[in-house]
Amino acid sequence: MATILEAKHLKKYFKTPKGMLHAVDDVSFSIEAGKTLGVVGESGCGKSTLGRVLIHLLERTDGQIFFEGKDISDLKKSELKEIRKDMQMIFQDPFASLNPRQSVSEIIAEPLQIYHRVSSKQDLEKQVLELMDTVGLARRLANSYPHELDGGRRQRIGVARALALNPKFIVCDEPVSALDVSIQAQILNLMQDLQEERNLTYLFITHNLSVVKHISDEILVMYLGKMVEFASDKDIFMHRLHPYTKALLAAVPLPVYGMQKKKRQLLSGELSSPINPKPGCRFATRCPYAKEICSQKEPELEEIMPRHFVACHFAREINGL
Amino acid sequence: MANQSDTKIFEQEEQVVLKKQSQFREIMGRFAKNKLAIASLVIIFILIIMAVFAEQIAPYGPDDQDLSRRFTYPCAEFLLGTDDYGRDILSRLIYGARYSLSVGLISVSFSCLIGVILGCIAGFYGQVADNIIMRLVDIVLAIPNILLALSIASALGPGLGNLIVAVGIGAVPGYARIVRASILSVKQMEYIEAARSIGASDVRIITRHILPNCLAPIIVQATMSIAVAILSAASLSFLGLGITPPTPEWGSMLSAGRAYIRDFWPVVTFPGMMIMITVFAFNILGDGLRDALDPKLKV
Amino acid sequence: MPEPILEVKNLTIEYTSGKSIVQAVNNLSFTLEKGEALGLVGETGAGKTTTALSIMQLITSPPGRIKSGEIIFEGRDLTKLPQSELRKLRGEKISMIFQDPMTALNPVITVGDQISEVIRLHEKTTKLEAAAKAKEMLEMVGIPGERYSEYPHQFSGGMKQRVIIAIALARSPSLLIADEPTTALDVTIQAQVLEMIDRIIRELKTTLILITHDLGVVADICDKAAIMYAGEIVEYGTLDHIYNHTLHPYSIGLFNSIPNFDEDVHRLKPIKGLMPDPTNLPKGCSFSLRCPDCCETCRQRKFELTEAAPGHFVRCIKYAQV
Repeated sequence: MATILEAKHLKKYFKTPKGMLHAVDDVSFSIEAGKTLGVVGESGCGKSTLGRVLIHLLERTDGQIFFEGKDISDLKKSELKEIRKDMQMIFQDPFASLNPRQSVSEIIAEPLQIYHRVSSKQDLEKQVLELMDTVGLARRLANSYPHELDGGRRQRIGVARALALNPKFIVCDEPVSALDVSIQAQILNLMQDLQEERNLTYLFITHNLSVVKHISDEILVMYLGKMVEFASDKDIFMHRLHPYTKALLAAVPLPVYGMQKKKRQLLSGELSSPINPKPGCRFATRCPYAKEICSQKEPELEEIMPRHFVACHFAREINGL
Repeated sequence: MANQSDTKIFEQEEQVVLKKQSQFREIMGRFAKNKLAIASLVIIFILIIMAVFAEQIAPYGPDDQDLSRRFTYPCAEFLLGTDDYGRDILSRLIYGARYSLSVGLISVSFSCLIGVILGCIAGFYGQVADNIIMRLVDIVLAIPNILLALSIASALGPGLGNLIVAVGIGAVPGYARIVRASILSVKQMEYIEAARSIGASDVRIITRHILPNCLAPIIVQATMSIAVAILSAASLSFLGLGITPPTPEWGSMLSAGRAYIRDFWPVVTFPGMMIMITVFAFNILGDGLRDALDPKLKV
Repeated sequence: MPEPILEVKNLTIEYTSGKSIVQAVNNLSFTLEKGEALGLVGETGAGKTTTALSIMQLITSPPGRIKSGEIIFEGRDLTKLPQSELRKLRGEKISMIFQDPMTALNPVITVGDQISEVIRLHEKTTKLEAAAKAKEMLEMVGIPGERYSEYPHQFSGGMKQRVIIAIALARSPSLLIADEPTTALDVTIQAQVLEMIDRIIRELKTTLILITHDLGVVADICDKAAIMYAGEIVEYGTLDHIYNHTLHPYSIGLFNSIPNFDEDVHRLKPIKGLMPDPTNLPKGCSFSLRCPDCCETCRQRKFELTEAAPGHFVRCIKYAQV
């Protein structure tokens, strides 16, 4: 399979009154066409920023982005417009991401109009209705406004808008976090079907570990702007190598009862600040295995098992490898 | 795909016609439920009819003098009495609606247009443009409105056109600030980012996505400031800097009647009431529109 | 059998909006014994929060109204108590934690003062005693007492939620209602807060009603669970009943909608369709429109909660005694 998107040493810093906020710090990965890369992490780990930098909604500070082998790190306005056709985004909040003054059909029609993909009014109408069919929106809702619809339907509008230009790559920023579980499952299935039909590539950003496990082929775990672990989903869930990944997975409350209530290994403390981070491993302050070296030297991302990368000084020792 | 069906919502598909169903009707529906606002709309409508058809409605001409009938109290012949030149007050008030309303409407459109453009530039592009525009706005705001209008009016001289400019300039900062503030908040919304992600240009984002969502405060500000503009115009005329007698502008009528305020009440009371009713009507209309325009209030 | 601390009997709550009447909670009954933890699970619009507010007697009226039913707390019917009695009860005997820790604290008062204020409101103590007690409370929720005089903005989200819990528990109430207490928190912080709630309610023998949409959270700290759908309890029982012997089709659908952590499924099996419009509920079983096993009788009539196994109640035709 061909690599569709590749990021190399991507960095995004924000200027704040207190100093530089390292939202994304030296992140490198690649995604194959037709696959889903899940990005997991807690709030403030830079996962949303990463998605936005990839599709140029935010401009990167440093590093390179390749799309289908072409360097798209720096683009002119016209080139950017060209590349946007292929890279789209589905947003987290189905309430805030739709313009309340536009009807459903207007929202879906907008990308088609911007890129002059329509020859006539009839053609536009036909394409919009087809898109609504694709995402499972009843045609009679075409003239409704977003606030008249529930969260699940609104998120379908967001999906239809992202699909309108027939993109190859879609950044999904927590697309199901705001939805109820039963609706969440409907949308996840829809996204999987679309991926199979259209050979889409997803970057799926979420904090929900069971969702990310369900939908992803590969998973990238982020902590305070850094990649801490990267592997295929099976590998990460079977062999969690990084102490943070272990803690994260242990913290998920599982909807099962009966297995004697396991005593959880809880992380103490909270996230440290991503502003002007101290040298060393960013997880060191909360890590149960931290030694002196952890607060002095930053661990490199290392391939510990085949295509399983971990950034930890003691990844081998604590896992008995 | 066999199990595709469970991703669809189970609903009958029917043929639909995509039509641009504007939100106007819904807004009017909500507006119609507000009885006070409807009353104010009726008053404004009557005022406009008065202004347009003054010749047909007014019993006398605005300048028809009958010096033998000076200071007549309201009676069957002169419904609101006559003034110091024996002119029919009612007729003058009806003709006066032309001046007051046109000053209000034209000066507001003028200041609204300039204010919105400035506010858009300042709010959307920020940084240097924002700084320059907003500091200029601050300077204008630092001068008391009436003083500003006074100085502009006295520099330009009397007359309807100059009065409109004088009243309008003072209102520009209000719009610029409101538009900038609402753009700043709308700009944060995810749908603006969504619009950028589908490749929309700045102009398209401003006109299609930002402005329609800032419309409510602008419309409300506009209706409210019609009232303010009418008042300032009346004040300027009262001070002799706007429209000068014998033109039957309400403010100048007040001004002319000032001398007789103790001896003959109709000459100031009725123009004053006209101003009050008009200002009141526009204010209530503004309130009603604000409630009606909020799409989230829809039930 | 121990004395029940809270008994809700046939509670029905209505909201009026315009001309339509919405039954937010419909004929709801459950019983809680002292020290028990009940998880109230359901999706948006299921009536969970309304139920909680009705126990606090905080339903804003109008538009809300308790149409019928009784809420018996420690032998007294809360729906019939005068306001002055209720005010004494709230905070002293019953307290509530809300979802959003960001807005529930007053930003201009130090966290310590916010706790001691609650203590002094109900108890005649000196300022010093109250402050000492407040420090104790802070330490109980895992915040060092020295942070007494800091302001809410100096705390992170998880810390703020701890402060809110400290405030709620300051008067050692016998009933604590927690409305999605950890939804706004990250998983690692959520785990900390849940563990803390669990520890404290066992220590203080507080009765807990935990409102959540997350079946995982309930499995962690509750003893019993009630699944709500469209204002009704559709299934009620111990965790073993609900998790290992799930009976109601809606509960089964909920479990199937959650991606499973331990096994791989290619596709999820979601509940089809959408929550019914609360102004226009189906005539029969409220879940009938989405139920895979729906039959003609389900569409025609409603069913009562039936005891399918001792202590395990289900509202479904399959278990109804006809």
